[in-house]
Amino acid sequence: MSARLADVGLALLRQALLLAAITVAVFALMRVVPGDVVDAMAMEGSLDEEAVAALRADLGLDAGVLAQLRIWVVRALGGDLGLSLRFDRPVAELILAALPTTLALGTLALAVGLALGIALPAAAVLWPRSPFPVLVEAVNLWSIALPTFCVGLAGILVFSVWLGWLPVIGQMLLPVLILGIDNAGQIAKPLHEDLKEAATAAHIRTARAKGLSPARIVLRHLLPNAMTTVVALGGMMLAALIGGALTMEVLFGLPGLGTLAYQAVSGRDYPVIQAVVMVFAAGVVAVNLLADQLQRALDPRLRR
Amino acid sequence: MSSTFHASRRGLIGGAAAMAGLGLLDHLPGSGAHAQGARSGTVKIAVLGLDTADPHRHTGSIAVQQVYVETLTSIADDGTVKPFLATSWEVSPDGRRYAFTIREGVRFHNGRLMTAEDVRANAVRVRDQVRGGWLSAPMKLVESLEAPDARTFVMTMKEPYGPLLNLLSELWIVAPESDGWAQTIRTPIGTGPFRFGRWTPNVSFHAPAFEQYWQAGLPRAEAVEFSLRDDSDLSLPLRAGDLHIARIGYDKLASVKADPNLEVQFMKDTTWWFWSFNNRSPRKPFDDLRVRRAVSHMLDKPAFMRFVAGDAGVVTNQMAAPGQFFWDQAMHEADVHARPNEARARALLAEAGVDPARTPCRIVSWQSTYPEIAVQAERQLGFQVEHLALDDIGAQRRLGQYDWDLAPFASGPRADIFLRFIRLMSDGPNVGLWGGTRDAEFDALVKQAVAAVDLAERRRFYLAAWQRALDNYYTVVIGHAPEPIANRRAVTGYSPGFTWGQHRVDGGLAHAALGARS
Amino acid sequence: MSASAAGSLAAGRLGAGRSSAGFAAGVTILAVAVLVAVLGPSLVPHDPLAQALAAGNAPPDAAHWLGRDHLGRDIAARLAAGTRISLLVALGATLLSVILGAGLGLVAEANGRWASFVVFGAFDMVRALPSILLALTLMVALGVGTAPLVLALGIAFAPHMAMVARAAWRRETASGYVAAARVMGAAPLATLGRHILPNIAGALVTQAAIVVPRAITTESVLSFFGLGVAPDTPSWGRMIAGAARFAEAAPHAVLAPVAALCVVTLGFALVGDRLRLALDPLREHGR
Repeated sequence: MSARLADVGLALLRQALLLAAITVAVFALMRVVPGDVVDAMAMEGSLDEEAVAALRADLGLDAGVLAQLRIWVVRALGGDLGLSLRFDRPVAELILAALPTTLALGTLALAVGLALGIALPAAAVLWPRSPFPVLVEAVNLWSIALPTFCVGLAGILVFSVWLGWLPVIGQMLLPVLILGIDNAGQIAKPLHEDLKEAATAAHIRTARAKGLSPARIVLRHLLPNAMTTVVALGGMMLAALIGGALTMEVLFGLPGLGTLAYQAVSGRDYPVIQAVVMVFAAGVVAVNLLADQLQRALDPRLRR
Repeated sequence: MSSTFHASRRGLIGGAAAMAGLGLLDHLPGSGAHAQGARSGTVKIAVLGLDTADPHRHTGSIAVQQVYVETLTSIADDGTVKPFLATSWEVSPDGRRYAFTIREGVRFHNGRLMTAEDVRANAVRVRDQVRGGWLSAPMKLVESLEAPDARTFVMTMKEPYGPLLNLLSELWIVAPESDGWAQTIRTPIGTGPFRFGRWTPNVSFHAPAFEQYWQAGLPRAEAVEFSLRDDSDLSLPLRAGDLHIARIGYDKLASVKADPNLEVQFMKDTTWWFWSFNNRSPRKPFDDLRVRRAVSHMLDKPAFMRFVAGDAGVVTNQMAAPGQFFWDQAMHEADVHARPNEARARALLAEAGVDPARTPCRIVSWQSTYPEIAVQAERQLGFQVEHLALDDIGAQRRLGQYDWDLAPFASGPRADIFLRFIRLMSDGPNVGLWGGTRDAEFDALVKQAVAAVDLAERRRFYLAAWQRALDNYYTVVIGHAPEPIANRRAVTGYSPGFTWGQHRVDGGLAHAALGARS
Repeated sequence: MSASAAGSLAAGRLGAGRSSAGFAAGVTILAVAVLVAVLGPSLVPHDPLAQALAAGNAPPDAAHWLGRDHLGRDIAARLAAGTRISLLVALGATLLSVILGAGLGLVAEANGRWASFVVFGAFDMVRALPSILLALTLMVALGVGTAPLVLALGIAFAPHMAMVARAAWRRETASGYVAAARVMGAAPLATLGRHILPNIAGALVTQAAIVVPRAITTESVLSFFGLGVAPDTPSWGRMIAGAARFAEAAPHAVLAPVAALCVVTLGFALVGDRLRLALDPLREHGR
């Protein structure tokens, strides 16, 4: 038991170090980038050089990189993520406002992906002569060959412009479906293979000989064993999902973290970029940790 | 299945209330609040963004502020300056003293009446606390700001400043008790037809109507909601009905005009396209006037404007749009680049001894489509073209390095022509897009225009300055076109103005209302 | 996350390993793509850059087989030129990711726990960010153009290569025959060269077949957002980005590069399946 705890503790420590390293790296990277938010302001308004210098001093952008980093870290540890350089609003406020959208998009897409990705292969194994195996192949092919942003574009065109069924801005139905099907495609085929293989195992043949209904066999015998696969793949799915969500958010105009990140990067809004990257990284790290621990729990072969 | 026929009365009423709440009943004939003076509907609009809640600290995107804060003067649809929060003004003969009569009966959103002292406080704030903005130049010339009585505000300048009245259309009057007045205003208390409601940066801004607005009968709508998203194509949500009013790109003009539910109007001032040469530290051979002429002969201006703006575009060689007061017919007709002339271009290059195949040409632009036309023209001339298409900030930075040769850009409507000339002045702000010109004689001519009290004299000086710009090929104007703004036909009373401001003396969102159909 | 799980996300999912028709189709697709890339614009009698502003969005006809884009440029010529660019960028990025990822990763592994900890920690850092966000940030830092793009993509995919290389390395060094070879007196370097590296190479090639199409797609997304290759460079992503606005008026302009993207991605997947079976049969998950 204590070995497990040590395991988890070590993993947590490693991830914490990771987050710290990411913070420093992004901070440094952003300072290397040419142009800053004062340039953005100078662009549109009419700041002369004197005003530009003064504004930079105001915003603390003329101090050295290390000094700025130190200030940021100290504030962040106290829970203050700073003010957005562009909007003069607390970064924490902007992130909290954007978080629900991204979480909703990610969770719903994951749910759709898991539901579809498990149901289709299960059905394909239960009814091998139905269209379900074909659907598994189709969904598989979809996720390999069709990039989500292309499908997103097509979706907007077909459903919002031509058919007028859906509003263009701010609806989540299409992005959730597109991401969900993409996700489902990532696990459907491997799970199908897994299930088919497991179905040929001895104890399953015994169960069938005994007359147990196929549905029961799938649900009680096959699926639980396949959970390892699902968890392994699901973890990667979620990590990939976060990236896919970014593109979808920008495409469909959803006010989530992805849009926030994209605009912050374009606008060189350092405090926002810093904080958003931290949130993303923390999220991915948490998911990986969770999935890793789940996997170890489910599959004794993986325990050290 | 049979239960639907036994819907209870309570259920019906509850359902009706729900539907009314969702605005669905507005679609039924005979309903909808159209009693005299009653406000109806929330107008959904998308034009530009909103960068700050502090109107004095705006960084250029000024389309939204005008609905909640107002100014002493306002630019009318014909580009002239009209009284707004000031009812009239008197300018001393030497052009240095402006005495404004402040309108009576104007209330701030918190109910308090506006006085000349409020106006003075705002001018003082802009002068002392705000760095940058269009008003920083005139504010430096201010000698004194006084409010001798509750209805008079006096501004005395050190020297005459022609654009002042026009620029005052962007000095917004905010109640000094607004939260954040000493640093950055968080919630501006203005006098506009709508209040500062809820702002979610880059997403939306909701502004409910101000009941005690000083213009009777306005605003006609219950509220206005701005979509602040960075969407490049707003014609889609407009056609789908998610938006009532939106700016659209010229390339969408045809599809929008074909839609029976939409109508297209144009802004009264223009966006103008140009390309600038590097004037701060030009690289060889682009410091040679013959090469600049050759490059300019290569560009097909009519084709460019047709591509960019279709029928709405017009080719010219001046920063003022054809028909405007500061535009000159004779100068326009003398434009040798009105049509492309490839033979002449090649001849000039040969004369200058330049072999384009061995000459690099670095072009900096934004990531729009029109720069590609300029790029291809240069490539056809034979230059080794390197095209850097950067985002706003990247371009800004790169231009400031002055290691480029050509910069095709566009610039939008302005309250005063001076704000275009200022970009070619030596100490002008953000001059990169115009090559960082430093020409003392040009500066002198513009300063004389600014100081001129007589309009005809001002025009003469501006034209003289522009002739210098033409002769030296600082920046070559390609053409002008007004920005299209489309609205659903259910919106009545809305028209775009001279600038992007959505509320002004002769129109705007205060006059807009939603009909029975949206 | 085990590398085998990572690999199973794409490899082996088409069942092409077991069907020769699928593999043949994949090889054909890739061969055609390479041919078009090599022959380039000489296949089509039009200049991919020449504009004809008045003829924007013209539909396909006899002279312009795939029609014209919004600036009047011939789409077929751009597609041909773009194949070369998209493939080169993707291959370059993948190669870079192998060198950076597998190279650094193996060196770190061979040099003990601390080196491994630091290097793979850095890779974890890169992997923790969504690749789009990472690429976006890198591109904004490095500037626009082909070289920064290849660099950004190479960095983004390096961790995948590192993980695969490390997993393969561990598998090989732990396996019996290496120990046996050592007992029999074989020199360590020889062991490395004859047994370990070829197997790692196999795993890397399989992973490359996954990374290349992902690189193509990521480049497309970046170009769609305005980063990526220079504006008139006809990479598929740029073409899609430019044509997306006119999808209604000129569907052919956006369908052509999208189709190219999807077909070539498919080709890689089909080939990757068979490669996996041939080169990496000892995979843990059997998938």
